[in-house]
Amino acid sequence: MTTRQDIIKITGLQKSFGDLHVLKGIDLCIKEKEVVVIIGPSGSGKSTLLRCINYLEEPTGGEIVFDNIPLNGEANINEVRKEVGMVFQRFNLFPHMTVLENLVLAPMKVRKVSRKDAEELARMYLQKVGLAEKADNYPDQLSGGQQQRVAIARALCMKPKAMLFDEPTSALDPEMINEVLEVMKQLAKEGMTMVVVTHEMGFAKEVGDRVLFVDGGYIVEEGTPEQVFDHPQNPRTQSFLSKIL
Amino acid sequence: MDVNFELMQSAFPLLIAGACITVEITALTVFFGMIIGICVSLIRMSDFKLLRWMGNVYVDFIRGTPLLIQIFLVYFALPSIIGHRVDAYFAAISACSINSGAYMAEVFRGGIQSIDIGQMEAGRSLGMTWWQTMRYIILPQAFKRIIPPLGNEFIAMLKDSSLVSVIGFEELTRRGQLIIARTYASFEIWMAVAIIYLILTFTVARLTGLLERKFETK
Repeated sequence: MTTRQDIIKITGLQKSFGDLHVLKGIDLCIKEKEVVVIIGPSGSGKSTLLRCINYLEEPTGGEIVFDNIPLNGEANINEVRKEVGMVFQRFNLFPHMTVLENLVLAPMKVRKVSRKDAEELARMYLQKVGLAEKADNYPDQLSGGQQQRVAIARALCMKPKAMLFDEPTSALDPEMINEVLEVMKQLAKEGMTMVVVTHEMGFAKEVGDRVLFVDGGYIVEEGTPEQVFDHPQNPRTQSFLSKIL
Repeated sequence: MDVNFELMQSAFPLLIAGACITVEITALTVFFGMIIGICVSLIRMSDFKLLRWMGNVYVDFIRGTPLLIQIFLVYFALPSIIGHRVDAYFAAISACSINSGAYMAEVFRGGIQSIDIGQMEAGRSLGMTWWQTMRYIILPQAFKRIIPPLGNEFIAMLKDSSLVSVIGFEELTRRGQLIIARTYASFEIWMAVAIIYLILTFTVARLTGLLERKFETK
């Protein structure tokens, strides 16, 4: 563990929306191949924290360094976004394109991969998420769980160094949650660096190397899943966990 | 009263030739108007305050003044500034395009803003630039939604292009006027002109409907 390099380094991160102070000073280091799960009540700032990492929200203070590149807005944000995959709660697939087109677009336009290579890569990742036969379908012909797996494959096609998941199963019907979690577990097993905002405590316990409890704009508690779930120290963590477990 | 159908018939070839010119200037106007419209709508959504302000002034000015006055400005007022005559064809196309562009800008803005913000976020999170995301993801989806208002804009332009007759540009309306000046058959000719406009607008409306359905099935 100690020999691994920090891939994401966040210091003193602040974010306000007008008068609303959402993040009040977050310090966080994430190592290569680490799976960090962020939990917390809604409105606690956990999604905002995740979205700041690839600048979908522009921080109002503090510093984020990704793979030794300090983020400074439009100047280099695309360099970092290429390396950080993101999976959204609402999938955000491109509805006017087939699954295959969804997957090859960014590699071709951003990484300048040839169509042939991009398609090969796309089919490989579709296979991996178990949807090889859906390449020529449109997103609205797929179930929610299938769409989310396509979204994961789409992010993987950029060969990212880390993946961010913003409540990836919250918009899914219960029977589809597992198929998505299985794909994520597989990714974790293969050594992908992952930051996951989720309400799936089972997933957090099973896959997470570290759990962060975020509340009121701060990281209130952090530790291994055993520490946080079985022996929470902070009263706010205890109260939150007692409500959901 | 007696309606002189023979006269109507004999006037038809001349009027049809005028209608072709009406279609030509409308098509060119809509084409240039769309280009202006896309650019202005993007400018008005950009982060640059000055550009945004200029876009707003343009749209407000054009929508707040009559097309007829805009045609006069280009044809009569512009020459006194630049020092030489402006060709009627150029004046007609440019005045109408600039006019149409303002309305198109609003149509495009509405279409673009109706696309879920998550689409832009997904594109950007994959490392694509703002413009790449616009071009490959937002605009294709927005375009599908703005086919009906674009059709309306096309139809409005077909009719409004009759205004360029005042600068002597010989499109459908002007042809009608000229024939009446010779024959005094105002009822027959204006009826014929109206029917031709109706056929043109009806055709465009049907084509828009077809286009809409074609994109719908995808």
